[in-house]
Amino acid sequence: MQEWAQIFLRSISLFILVWAAVRLLGKRNITQINPFNFIGYIIIAITATLMSLNLVTLFYGFIVMFVWVALPVALDYLAIKSKVMHELINGKEAVLIKHGKVMEENLLSVRMTGEDLLAKLRSKNAFNMTDVEFAVMETNGEINPYLKSHKKPVTSYDLGRKVAPQAEPQTVALDGNMLEEPLASLGLTPEWLNSELDKMGVALENVFLGQVDSSGDLYLDLFDDAVELPQPKVKEMLYATLEKSQADLVTFAFQTENKEAKAMYSKNSQRLEDLLNKLRPYLLH
Amino acid sequence: MTVASQVKQTLASLKGAQGTLRVYSTQTRDEETRSVFTEALEETHTIIKDLENRLKTLEFEEPQYKGN
Repeated sequence: MQEWAQIFLRSISLFILVWAAVRLLGKRNITQINPFNFIGYIIIAITATLMSLNLVTLFYGFIVMFVWVALPVALDYLAIKSKVMHELINGKEAVLIKHGKVMEENLLSVRMTGEDLLAKLRSKNAFNMTDVEFAVMETNGEINPYLKSHKKPVTSYDLGRKVAPQAEPQTVALDGNMLEEPLASLGLTPEWLNSELDKMGVALENVFLGQVDSSGDLYLDLFDDAVELPQPKVKEMLYATLEKSQADLVTFAFQTENKEAKAMYSKNSQRLEDLLNKLRPYLLH
Repeated sequence: MTVASQVKQTLASLKGAQGTLRVYSTQTRDEETRSVFTEALEETHTIIKDLENRLKTLEFEEPQYKGN
């Protein structure tokens, strides 16, 4: 056989072999591998190159490949089974900042300068050293800061406010086409979408994007951006209506001279007020 | 405007709100939210009942404005 044909065939078979070997090594993202995995990948790559160029015999090449695939897999397995092995293989995370103070010895042991630390913290949006309570370097070299509690982003929990749970929205129209499957998963029919579009006075061909949120309201984006669409304000309107009714009941309670009616009006206005408090997170957000 | 017609107006807007609540209590996907809407629906229902009863009495007291 011609030499070029030999190299061609070897390359193809090694391509498949290396692909299988890398799949065997596991599903890690290249940014998440530790230095040792990295060396393993490089050795497999170099061996494959040498084998396909006929610089080492196939048999020797296979031995090298086998060792560099089998050992990492075995080590991974051990790391899952035992915590000691895990630390030995993957290393241990290093605490770089504790109680707001930089741990200089640990910084030295991971060979980082103060500048490096500041740069890494900045990339995590911690520009001010005083904001960081705790920071740790993970085994893959990433630095994760934990901010002081008064510098953390405010959540609804901090504000003591209840918020309505929201499921993911479903896209029901795209590029002027109706998407039947998401519609069906919401328990809606194409007729429903057509009638909603009719209500807004929009043709389906004009819709670039249509989404249904978890409360069943439809949001549209049109190809023609000059057209102003009324965004659904049904919930806000509902809240306003109930609020107005509540105010009316209070007025009635004041106006009437009938004792029984007065009691009825104030009881119901109280009821409506409680209801409004309960509905507020669901209707106004 | 008489008292009866004022009550009638409030009753009408409450009934409108009840309709919207009914729509949301069926089309909302989240279980918890749906139960809140259903509860609100029942609550408005009792309020509407009370107001309707009051309206009957009012119309009996001032029959000349009946139907306004």
